[in-house]
Amino acid sequence: MRKVAVVGVGHTKFGKRNAGWRDLVQEAGKLAFDSVENLEPRDIESFFLGAAQPERFAFLTHVAPLAAEMLGITPRKIIARTELACASGQAAIRYAYATIAAGLTDIAMVVGVEKMFMPNMLEAQSNMTCVLDREWDGVNGLSAPPFFAMCAQRHMIEYGTTREQMAMVRVKNQKFASKNPLAQFSGKEFRVEDVVRSKPVSPPLCLLDCSGITDGAAAMILVEESLAKKFTDTPMYIIGSGQASIGNLINGLPGLANWDACAVAAKEAYRMAGVTPDDIDIAETHDCFTISEIIEYEELGFCKKGEGGKFIEEGQSDIGGKVAVNTRGGLLGMGHPLGATALSQAIELFWQFRGEVPDYRYVDGAEIGLTHNLSGSASVHSILIYRRG
Amino acid sequence: MEYRTVKLPEKIDLPTMLDFYPLQTEEWTRVSRFFENLKEGKLTTTKCRDCNALHWQPRIVCPKCMSDDLEWVELPREGKLHAFVESVVIPLGMEQEMPMIVGVVEIGGLKISTKIDDAKLEDLEVGMDMELKVVKVEDGKQERYWYRFRPKK
Repeated sequence: MRKVAVVGVGHTKFGKRNAGWRDLVQEAGKLAFDSVENLEPRDIESFFLGAAQPERFAFLTHVAPLAAEMLGITPRKIIARTELACASGQAAIRYAYATIAAGLTDIAMVVGVEKMFMPNMLEAQSNMTCVLDREWDGVNGLSAPPFFAMCAQRHMIEYGTTREQMAMVRVKNQKFASKNPLAQFSGKEFRVEDVVRSKPVSPPLCLLDCSGITDGAAAMILVEESLAKKFTDTPMYIIGSGQASIGNLINGLPGLANWDACAVAAKEAYRMAGVTPDDIDIAETHDCFTISEIIEYEELGFCKKGEGGKFIEEGQSDIGGKVAVNTRGGLLGMGHPLGATALSQAIELFWQFRGEVPDYRYVDGAEIGLTHNLSGSASVHSILIYRRG
Repeated sequence: MEYRTVKLPEKIDLPTMLDFYPLQTEEWTRVSRFFENLKEGKLTTTKCRDCNALHWQPRIVCPKCMSDDLEWVELPREGKLHAFVESVVIPLGMEQEMPMIVGVVEIGGLKISTKIDDAKLEDLEVGMDMELKVVKVEDGKQERYWYRFRPKK
């Protein structure tokens, strides 16, 4: 299998943007091309577009060719759009990685995008309800906030996790987001009491326990290893991949407070990368809700099962702790434009490894980084491990 | 400037697939029996005659052994509350039901999601007994049925 390097990246401002779906694609694409010397749109052989619901948010389908045209790209090897709900972006990175590793293509571009603000926000919220099985779970009023609230309820019952520990996840991630100009929620910090007292959405989860509805896009350029130095002296390598899907409907899940697929995916990613959880210096995990990050500490092996609450409380997931988690601000602070999130996470690692982030969030000496996304009813977990070049 | 005005309809019916409830008749699904049974007040699902696996949702092929020799079985009318939440997230077409309480009920070895009726949040407790309630869903075009649960009386 051939090795794969990330050589260039682009990241738009996340938030409520005065921009349309295709504007976001163009912004991210231009930034990615601007970040790499010696590379033009015509050099891109393959193109992968991560987008969760362009059909619903923008009433567009067949969107990969649309985006490619906007960026002047004429792929002649492989082109496709990937959909895996909240992990759509990682699916796109994964297919670029897999096809380059397999020798089917040498130079690929990945763009992740979601335009989620709509004139009628009821419609935007409704769109998210078909991510869970619309006919058998969504019909019962289940969408992400109530689903993850029940995960929180079960985790509190089964493991004694507290309301305050969940709030601490937002406090930590918001601390990083507050100074990140690309974040949807930049410019403000929250205390535990701010989170606990924010508007109830699906108790125990309040508004500040939830990631946002967000517009945004991000782009990456991936190449076969031997080409990397042509484009940059400091590439980032993909060294491990793991993905698992167990069930989909509530009845098919191993549990609400244990996400077995995450542990399965992590084990495979660590095996492939030849590392252990202790080797991860920096992790970008899918904190779609505060409870998610706590369960992920456990399933990713950063702490024992049931001790995720203690892990955040002891500061083990902060810079200087066991592993620095979500230094860009997480989904909670950055916002969560579904298709773009995984790329934003990978780009944080890229900038961290190159020392291109400001001091307040720089993880000195970081060599190995992990990105994680969950999707749907936390039934699918997708993990990539990256190494500094 | 003078323009010709192009008129768009002021109102469009909620598209069929956006009202969340599945299409229930024989014309549209091979598990229409589930909905016919529900109309009779029975919550049913499929069970594999070859490997005895009990399914949720009802299937036409057993995911465990790929058999298509399935039978309909009735589930108990009572179960236990596994998790619940009051949600203010409003899907289109459900506005009049907000806020709503949704939950997961353990019933006959299955865990199924449900709306919870006839209860306030403070009445509910994980582990409590729940009972089946069937509702009729009307939209002026078709009559459909769905299940809910409520605290056992």
